[in-house]
Amino acid sequence: MSKFDMSFPLDRLAVDMPGGVSLENLAMLGSELALWPIEALRSADPIMGLAVLMIVALLAGEAVHRVTRLPRALGAMLVGALASPLALSLMVRTELDSWKPLLDLAVGLLVFELGSRIRPRWLLDNPWLAVKCLAEALATGLAVTGVLVWMGVSLSSAGLAGAVAMASSPVIAMAVLNELRPRGQVSERLLMMTAVNTVCAVLALTAWRVLVTLDSDGFDWQPALAGALYALCGSYLLGALAGLLLERLSRQIQGSGLAALQLALVVLAAMLAAQFTMSPLLALLIAGMVARARMGHRLQVEPQLGSGGAALTLLLLVTLGLLSTLEGLFDLLPMVAAIIGARLLAKVGTVLLLARPSGLGWRQSLGLGLALQPASGLSVLLTSNTLGWPSSLPLPDSTLLQALLIALTLMQLSGPVWLQLGLSTVAQETCRNTPR
Amino acid sequence: MPLQDFTTSESLTIGVELELQLISTHDHDLIPQAQDLLRETARHTGAWDIKPEITRSMIEIGTSIQREHTPLVAELRDMRDQLVRAARRLNIEIAGGGTHAFQHWSEQQIYPGERFHYISDLYGYLAKQFTVFGQHVHVGCPNGDDALWLLHALSRFVPHFIALSASSPFVQGQDTGFDSARLNSVFAFPLSGRAPFVRSWDEFGAYFDKMTATGVVQSMKDFYWDIRPKPEYGTIELRVCDTPLTVEKAAALACYLQAICRYLIEERPFEPVEDDYLVYTYNRFQACRFGLQGDIVNPQTKVRGKLRDDIVRTLARVETHAVDLKSWEACQLLRESLGEGNDAQWLRRQRGLDVPLSEVVEAAARRWTQSPPAAR
Repeated sequence: MSKFDMSFPLDRLAVDMPGGVSLENLAMLGSELALWPIEALRSADPIMGLAVLMIVALLAGEAVHRVTRLPRALGAMLVGALASPLALSLMVRTELDSWKPLLDLAVGLLVFELGSRIRPRWLLDNPWLAVKCLAEALATGLAVTGVLVWMGVSLSSAGLAGAVAMASSPVIAMAVLNELRPRGQVSERLLMMTAVNTVCAVLALTAWRVLVTLDSDGFDWQPALAGALYALCGSYLLGALAGLLLERLSRQIQGSGLAALQLALVVLAAMLAAQFTMSPLLALLIAGMVARARMGHRLQVEPQLGSGGAALTLLLLVTLGLLSTLEGLFDLLPMVAAIIGARLLAKVGTVLLLARPSGLGWRQSLGLGLALQPASGLSVLLTSNTLGWPSSLPLPDSTLLQALLIALTLMQLSGPVWLQLGLSTVAQETCRNTPR
Repeated sequence: MPLQDFTTSESLTIGVELELQLISTHDHDLIPQAQDLLRETARHTGAWDIKPEITRSMIEIGTSIQREHTPLVAELRDMRDQLVRAARRLNIEIAGGGTHAFQHWSEQQIYPGERFHYISDLYGYLAKQFTVFGQHVHVGCPNGDDALWLLHALSRFVPHFIALSASSPFVQGQDTGFDSARLNSVFAFPLSGRAPFVRSWDEFGAYFDKMTATGVVQSMKDFYWDIRPKPEYGTIELRVCDTPLTVEKAAALACYLQAICRYLIEERPFEPVEDDYLVYTYNRFQACRFGLQGDIVNPQTKVRGKLRDDIVRTLARVETHAVDLKSWEACQLLRESLGEGNDAQWLRRQRGLDVPLSEVVEAAARRWTQSPPAAR
């Protein structure tokens, strides 16, 4: 295999996210390492293997936290990365197939929880905040697209990277927020902006898919547009229905049954969305928001829906680490640096620019800009994956895709550090004088 | 540092200070966003003042100097509306009430500032426990001697203000059984309670010098008395009230105090004596514990009666003064509240049998924002 194989970039893009369906053909990556004790571990049952990795991840998370005071989530992802083909090749990506439903559920729970934390009315109460949310997403998309075009990447490929770069990772944000438990204006805005920029990324990717069909000869763009509209509207309706259903059913159910009901509905909504080629992310986000708005205090969403959810989140973090790719990092360094740099400048710059009109201090804005950095492959998964990738679509530049994957990997692995830097060190929103 | 001179101010002018809760719209727990709100309201229009308080989930507002009920209510409503608008932009809520129903004291953060850190260092966890919310009413006095006379004469009425304003039945997630549990947090401070029975400003100065010589106090701010003189303002400050759930109730309490002060100054119905304080702490406990249903013992006649009846009689006695001060409406609001019950009872009614406390806090925040006439 060459240093980085360009033959299946789109699969790779999908696989980089949890829940990616096309996990085939990827078993060979970096498996040249062959030390015999590790070989024994490699041959273990993948379910057992991942369970052992979870235990190691827990211990590593604690160790990382004790030594560096950084979030435990970082340790879990690093353990995943160490076990991945990047280093020890303890597990390969195809082995994650058996865990896929649980990984989908873990993502779904965190996205639903994010939705339930958001009060959309805030955007009306503070219109400058709405402007800030949209401007931040747009500026990020344009900056990344612009710098890539300047580097000679085709517009359509650069546009794809720009759309993906918009999103901050809801998964990392929720996992780390549940651990740091910050309270304050920056954390509240982080949740809102993460939700908005993720939705913007979904919309941008949908638009991108329609736009590239316009360019390709002999390709009918109308079905693509209709498909995109169907996916967006359908996701919205499905989410709203799930939220309403939760409200209706919860009247009959008391106590811990409510968490089970939420769990079941999250699974149901995500499955239906996938089944009917809609966006599970959008559907679950809307479901959380609708349920919160309709139920108010009756909606008790435990962080990660309780201890079972916390185990799922750990599994998810390990998996995110396992799916890391740094192949060809040195060759692609300029492009990777350009993506990360443009994204960082655009996010921090827009947040600082609109700090005062939206009612935030300078220091807080800097913290918010940094906390928005963790990247997400989620939006890619939840559009390209579920909508399917028509074979007739033009393939994006494979070099760019690999650079994008590396950038996402780096910003995903370093996500907990960005969040702690932004929320604790700069914005000082964690309660450090409280023993946990 | 010697005691400063008592600034002369116009008799019976009033000023109101309210400590307010900052609440998350998500879980309705306290949220440490005082700095954000102060920044958002920095350019407010109005003569009122807004300041930080000991922990970052509290703010304190103060009205300008007022003489009558109508402009006082108007100023408080304007303050409330501007605060609520700013809070909405920050996605937080503001509420009255003497305590937050379920906040945990250890999660509170001390507001950055020299004075607050001094208090935190000196009192330790008591400082965070002091995340309670009171209403302070200032009454203008022409000189220090008159201020001290009025301060001691008012001691008999302190239980009225505790019971009428009581709005802190829940502490740390539990119903305490008290109507005003907030004052229990205040009593934990070593220099709380009542002022020493001295009747001239010179005598008070001598007492103050002795106390500063011991190193126990550095300034008047170190006394957490129920009523204390404030020489730099030229006022006495009643500090026993819980912050009510509405600005209308806050204004009514201030005007009731103003009417009682006028009654005491003009009619001189009795001379305050040291023995007034024999029953003081008992009466105060009854008001905190049982609210309007509590007992009160008259220190002069030694007769025990119902606090509610004592308030009814006092309202009748001060009525002409209230009319002269144009605060009859304020007294009427309090008269009605005797039948409806105080804010502590309102909060308990919201809770009912199994309503979560977060919903009670949300209802309190809604009431602060809207102050519907029916819920007065």
